[in-house]
Amino acid sequence: MGYAYDFDAILRNFGPLLNGLELSLEIAIAANAIAIALGFLIALMLLSRSWLLRLPATAFVEFFRCTPFLVQIFWFFYCVPLLFNVFLSSRALGILALGLILSSFNAEAFRGAVQAVPREQIDAGVALGLSPWRRVVHIIFPAALRLAIPVLLTNGILAFQTSSLLSLVAVEELMFNAKMLSSKIYRPIETFTVVALIYFAISLPISQLVNWFERRRAAAEG
Amino acid sequence: MTDSQSQRAGDPLLRIESLRKSYGAGHPVLQGVDFETYAGERIVVIGPSGGGKSTLLRVIMGLEDIDEGLITFKGRNYVSAAGGRTRIDAGIRRSIGMVFQHYTLFPHLNVMRNLVLAPCKVNHETRASATKRGLALLERFGLAEKAGAYPSQLSGGQKQRVAIVRALMMDPTLMLFDEVTSALDPELVAEVEQVILQLTGQDLPMVIVTHDIWFAKRIASRVLFCDGGRIVEDGPPEQVLSNPKTERARDFVTRVYHANG
Amino acid sequence: MDLDFHVVWTFSGALAQGLRLSVTLTVVCMALGSLLGALLALARTSGSLWLSLPATAYVELLRGTPVLIQLFWVFFCLPLVIGFEPSNFASGVIALSLSMGAITAETFRAALRSISRDQKDACAALGLSRWARTRYVVLPQALLRATPVLLSNTITLFKESALVSAVGLADLMFIGGNISNSVGRPIEVLTSVAAIYFVIAFPLTRVVTRVEKGMLRKLAL
Repeated sequence: MGYAYDFDAILRNFGPLLNGLELSLEIAIAANAIAIALGFLIALMLLSRSWLLRLPATAFVEFFRCTPFLVQIFWFFYCVPLLFNVFLSSRALGILALGLILSSFNAEAFRGAVQAVPREQIDAGVALGLSPWRRVVHIIFPAALRLAIPVLLTNGILAFQTSSLLSLVAVEELMFNAKMLSSKIYRPIETFTVVALIYFAISLPISQLVNWFERRRAAAEG
Repeated sequence: MTDSQSQRAGDPLLRIESLRKSYGAGHPVLQGVDFETYAGERIVVIGPSGGGKSTLLRVIMGLEDIDEGLITFKGRNYVSAAGGRTRIDAGIRRSIGMVFQHYTLFPHLNVMRNLVLAPCKVNHETRASATKRGLALLERFGLAEKAGAYPSQLSGGQKQRVAIVRALMMDPTLMLFDEVTSALDPELVAEVEQVILQLTGQDLPMVIVTHDIWFAKRIASRVLFCDGGRIVEDGPPEQVLSNPKTERARDFVTRVYHANG
Repeated sequence: MDLDFHVVWTFSGALAQGLRLSVTLTVVCMALGSLLGALLALARTSGSLWLSLPATAYVELLRGTPVLIQLFWVFFCLPLVIGFEPSNFASGVIALSLSMGAITAETFRAALRSISRDQKDACAALGLSRWARTRYVVLPQALLRATPVLLSNTITLFKESALVSAVGLADLMFIGGNISNSVGRPIEVLTSVAAIYFVIAFPLTRVVTRVEKGMLRKLAL
């Protein structure tokens, strides 16, 4: 095997990787923020008694859950500007696309969580005279959020990893820069290994956090 | 109810000495349990939650490690602790049967297969012979027509009765019951207690952990009150249940009477 | 804006071929991946550290990195490491199977762990040996519990298979992307491609729900 490893080359070229990572994180965090709020709203629509709200919400969730992320991202980047006659930066498109995808997954998580909020808490809100909207904001949302946190965090990691697909539509995030670098210095093994470890280094602590949450919950209910 | 004294013929069936067990530092669960049981006895163990009675039963079944102590069965070493490790005689353990609080029937097998699994795989009994015995037992306890049903199709009381039959299929020399009616709706409790009462005719020694004082009165030949990991009282049911000697037992029995109206 | 879906129809043959590759990849990689996952799950739940540590490391690593980078690694780095270059298709199979292995390992592990301790106690009380317990009580239930999740994993794999287009494998996504570029009608083509994926994945999700409900009922979980 006549391949001399040279990880130093990566260190010398770390700048663009770091920039790419910054963009990936920006996009992932922004998408998560959108997806938590939107996911909750869609969950409420899914649980609504009126089919006028349920139908579009269900269609939304099913579309995003039954088609590949890549198709969705391509569709966003190539079709949305044409359809809606808007011009958005690739960063904005990326956040939008990722945010919508993620919100469909979060909607399912929230749906389960909202259904699991104890009835008594909501009844207490009614007894105290809170309006339906106030009940949602002050009782249901906080409780559902607490219940859904492990899944939301896991979905968040998923979003961060899925952001790598944006490299295929020329968004200059971490994956894109990794490919560029690998071609430039002819060192795919070092480049991709290091970048994989970067993704891993960010995903691992969060997944450990999720495990901790679930262990705590199991102990509390034990 | 026969006098527990006259049943003490011969050597002890089970002898428990200085049993100690903790779940880690500062969580002692059994703090020196000593008692003996004799053939034909029906021992009921009562006591508050967390007092150690279920753990005691599980130790007797060989499901738990112990820190100190010795249990002998018919004079032979059964469960012993030495150098931090627990030795359990597998042969003796096989002759003890146990029924648990939460059914634990195997949900993916129907009733008959639940019954014949252990006899066939452990005792290498033929399917035909085990099935025959199983049907006979099911008939005895009024469950014959459920032989092909799956656990999910049975009521709680039926599941527990099947669980008892399943344990009986292995011809145990000693039967342990761990709060077998605690998880049942009140109207299903009687049918299970009926089955256990029917077993008394076979002279099968039993140790029963229960919350049900009335059942304890009817079935016990001897009652143990277990609290704080120790046996605090030990005597005939008339004494322990109606006229306990110790303060703690008195407190407990009074509270239970009041709680159950 | 005029939409012309007829254009898509003229390419239906090519799209069908792409779909065939996607489906083939899904089936093959699910089979290989499940096998790998089962072995990994057994390794992780075995008592031995020699087995469980590497297995856990593998699963954590593959689940903590994007599938795209795993794909790139297999396509660009593996040939350098092993000294020869597998065919595109083989590389795709390797990458996706390795990824599915990690996912199904978690599925199997969760199924094994969900068998309650009470069941194992009942086996001990009946005198069943550890082997008999595993073979007759634990494994059958674990497989039953894992089935709906495995089906769901298959749907995920079908969607993930679209990534192989990024390394030049002529699957549905690749062909769709090419057509879209060559006729300059991204909306019609990409929508159709999405619809094809949807038409296959959606009914499968309904099947998963039904299997789940049926199993829940039978096992009274």
